[in-house]
Amino acid sequence: MGLFGDKRRAVIVGGMRTPFVKSFTDLMELDTIALGVAASSALLRKLDLPRREIDAFVWGGVVLPPLSVNIGREIVLDLGLPSSVDGMTVTRACASGLQAITSAVAAIERGDVDVVVAGGSDSTSNAPIAFPSKVTRTIAPLALSGKATAQDVLGALAQLMPLSDILPRQPRVAERTTGEVMGESAERMAQRNEISRMAQDEFALRSHKRAAKAIAAGRFDDEVTKIETPTGFVHVDGLVRADTSLDKLSKLKPVFAKGGTITAGNATPLTDGAAAVVLMSEEKARALGYRPLAAFRSWSYVAVDPADQLLIGPAIAVPRALERAGMSLADIDLVDMHEAFAAQVLSVLKMLASQAFARERLGRDQAVGEIHPDKLNVYGGSIAIGHPFAATGARMVTTMANELARSQRSTALLGICAAGGLGAAAILERV
Amino acid sequence: MTDVLLELSRNKLARQFMSRARLPIPMPEGLRRLPGPRVERFLEAKTVLVSGAGSLAESLSRTLSRAGAMSEVASAELAQLFAPAAEAYARPTRLLLSDESQGASEAEALLFDASVLRTPADLKLLYEFFHAHLGRLVRSGRVVILGRPPDAAQTPMAAAASAALEGFTRSLAKEIGGRGATANLVYVADGAEDRLAAVLRFLLSGASAFVTAQALRVSARAAWSAEDPWQQPLSNKVALVTGAARGIGAATARALADEGAHVVCLDRPEDDDALSHVVRDIQGSALLIDISASGAGVQIAHELEHRHGGVDIVVHNAGITRDRRLARMPESTWEQVLSVNLEALLLVTDVLLNEQTLRDHGRIVNLSSISGIAGNVGQTNYAASKAGVIGFTRALAEQLAGRAITVNAVAPGFIETRMTQAVPVLVREAGRRLSALGQGGLPEDVAQAIAFLVEPGAAGLTGQVLRVCGGALIGA
Repeated sequence: MGLFGDKRRAVIVGGMRTPFVKSFTDLMELDTIALGVAASSALLRKLDLPRREIDAFVWGGVVLPPLSVNIGREIVLDLGLPSSVDGMTVTRACASGLQAITSAVAAIERGDVDVVVAGGSDSTSNAPIAFPSKVTRTIAPLALSGKATAQDVLGALAQLMPLSDILPRQPRVAERTTGEVMGESAERMAQRNEISRMAQDEFALRSHKRAAKAIAAGRFDDEVTKIETPTGFVHVDGLVRADTSLDKLSKLKPVFAKGGTITAGNATPLTDGAAAVVLMSEEKARALGYRPLAAFRSWSYVAVDPADQLLIGPAIAVPRALERAGMSLADIDLVDMHEAFAAQVLSVLKMLASQAFARERLGRDQAVGEIHPDKLNVYGGSIAIGHPFAATGARMVTTMANELARSQRSTALLGICAAGGLGAAAILERV
Repeated sequence: MTDVLLELSRNKLARQFMSRARLPIPMPEGLRRLPGPRVERFLEAKTVLVSGAGSLAESLSRTLSRAGAMSEVASAELAQLFAPAAEAYARPTRLLLSDESQGASEAEALLFDASVLRTPADLKLLYEFFHAHLGRLVRSGRVVILGRPPDAAQTPMAAAASAALEGFTRSLAKEIGGRGATANLVYVADGAEDRLAAVLRFLLSGASAFVTAQALRVSARAAWSAEDPWQQPLSNKVALVTGAARGIGAATARALADEGAHVVCLDRPEDDDALSHVVRDIQGSALLIDISASGAGVQIAHELEHRHGGVDIVVHNAGITRDRRLARMPESTWEQVLSVNLEALLLVTDVLLNEQTLRDHGRIVNLSSISGIAGNVGQTNYAASKAGVIGFTRALAEQLAGRAITVNAVAPGFIETRMTQAVPVLVREAGRRLSALGQGGLPEDVAQAIAFLVEPGAAGLTGQVLRVCGGALIGA
């Protein structure tokens, strides 16, 4: 029982995800709810979980459909589960998936519930195109009044000139407060932390090679479900490039700045997909005959100024999570770090290894520590596999929980950076 | 009240015309002031040039990197000293090239750590650095020179080198003042290195727009808890500002409230209207008391104790002028000025200390004046009161250092207020132009200096007179 003594402990019983594919390709016909349904139903089938045992769904989403924001509940209904199964949705940018899971863990450990399906999904392919609020404010009153004359309509239209003011806006992954696209933030982080293009490309290459090797070896076979679309079945992750090379990566043009270092090759692509895990109280899991894979020892969510280093959060969240677990980095066997950009992961790793950062920013005498490449993202990461925003947390938890259950390793550390200057970390231990 | 030349100089065409016509009319540069409350990275992505690898480099590098500055350093040795902070805040330093290549970017500030100067010959380094790079300084830019106090020098030679910095700084201030830029000197005593940060933030930001040609002394005399918040430094503090209805007092009340303080605004009952206007704006409290009335001190202490549980910051700003040449000055005029400007200040302070109303780690700022330093025709009464304030400040600072309370004076030069508006036009013009910055200051400039002195991090300054005078020629 360890850290928890006699307290209730939540355990991870299993996890499953859809293949992750490039947005606007094979999964385009499925929205975020349909993707969530696909991942969850596959997981429930695999675990053969009696439906009446499920208390709730806690689901993460970043790009949410405006007319059905609570996708957690919509997934429950579409799955045809008993209507008594609760459903909620959480959003915390790219940490949404992990947030859904730790919220579920907290609810279980508090004694509120026994069995929860938690995860997340996102379909950038189905992102709503937003009209500027000027358009909404001008047209909505006419539409709602039901008595608008042709003259009213013409008058309203005249107000909406020039045309450029009212064209739908392209969805961009831009910070609301700074207006900066995330890639620009990452580019500045690369410059400020002196992360070279070469280092980024090497990191990206390793991500692809490891993911490709894992797929070839069948490592993901019982974590990834085939998924049916109107145009056929999708079986495997679509973004992993087994054949990429440093030479190919180094030829790509920088995207966010002239003379910059960030390319399509060393950044995570826009992705569609979903991932889910089933969490239970330990007693319930054992009573139902499941073998628990892992449990959460600690977690930490932090925030930094988005105008400074947008994606440095994990460098602060990781030491906090370690401290809460009563552990040091040396006690960690595996590290899974979300790869928004190679530059961002390398910046975080540099700060974790920096004594100056520890002293100035964390108030500690010693650096948090170095993370050996052999421990880090052993089956690749978001650069190779892809990153459907809210699905990534559940993907990482699933892969690490399975790894702990299968290997002789006992602890895994997760790190996630997110828009808004958010950072998250969590520590899993073998049960 | 409007400064016509300053208004004119904001017009680009007029500026060009005046410079072509070579008219003997000064064109003061509009000063760049703080755009709002203090922020953490006030030097975000700004270039600063640093030279002189002294014992203050570590403190300097931490402040600059945390503030977001991109430092160009003059030597590899300095780069090494800067490396830890540069890494922690991800602000890599660059080496400053001695032969300035074309297109080198503008620099927000030039800093020189002169703390290791041993002999006057070492001063050459100062010449070399500023001679080569002063051209990169932006309008309203900053020069800050750091040194060790001459009176603590090990040798007479070192004392000479250290004291030389003052003459250098004052002259440089006059040379760059026409561009709205300032130059100041900070003498940092041994053991007070970590108290430099707040001083640097003040001197490098728009908060010090009207402070130039000054030498500040940072020491470890006053006790300090090492508390030094960069943003909202005055949150959870209660401040008393006297004479808060208008002018410098009102600006001070606003500035302290902007930095998070709850401000108790005090003024005479007849200024009720003006005072409540300020109080409403800043959601403070009003206290209508004539501080020269008998029993005022006890009443103030009572109010502060009962309604606010004490006070952390006291700004003695209330003051009056009744100018007359001494030969013609009626006794009542003499007495009025000394009573309000000096005696009331002493009495109120006395009560606040005796009743323990002023809490430990407190801050007292007394308003002095350049007149109190330099003297002025018709102001024997006023100058006596304001010089007296300085004496009181120095002595009290010593007494309260053990309780971590600092006591400082602020001496405004020519500030555009109702008081200076009443001055004859020629005297007013002289007051404005006979200074390094060639213009009068604003009440906000004095308010910002006060807001700095009452910060928890400003514990290095006590018993000092900070002039906010734009580098005025008189009394320097």
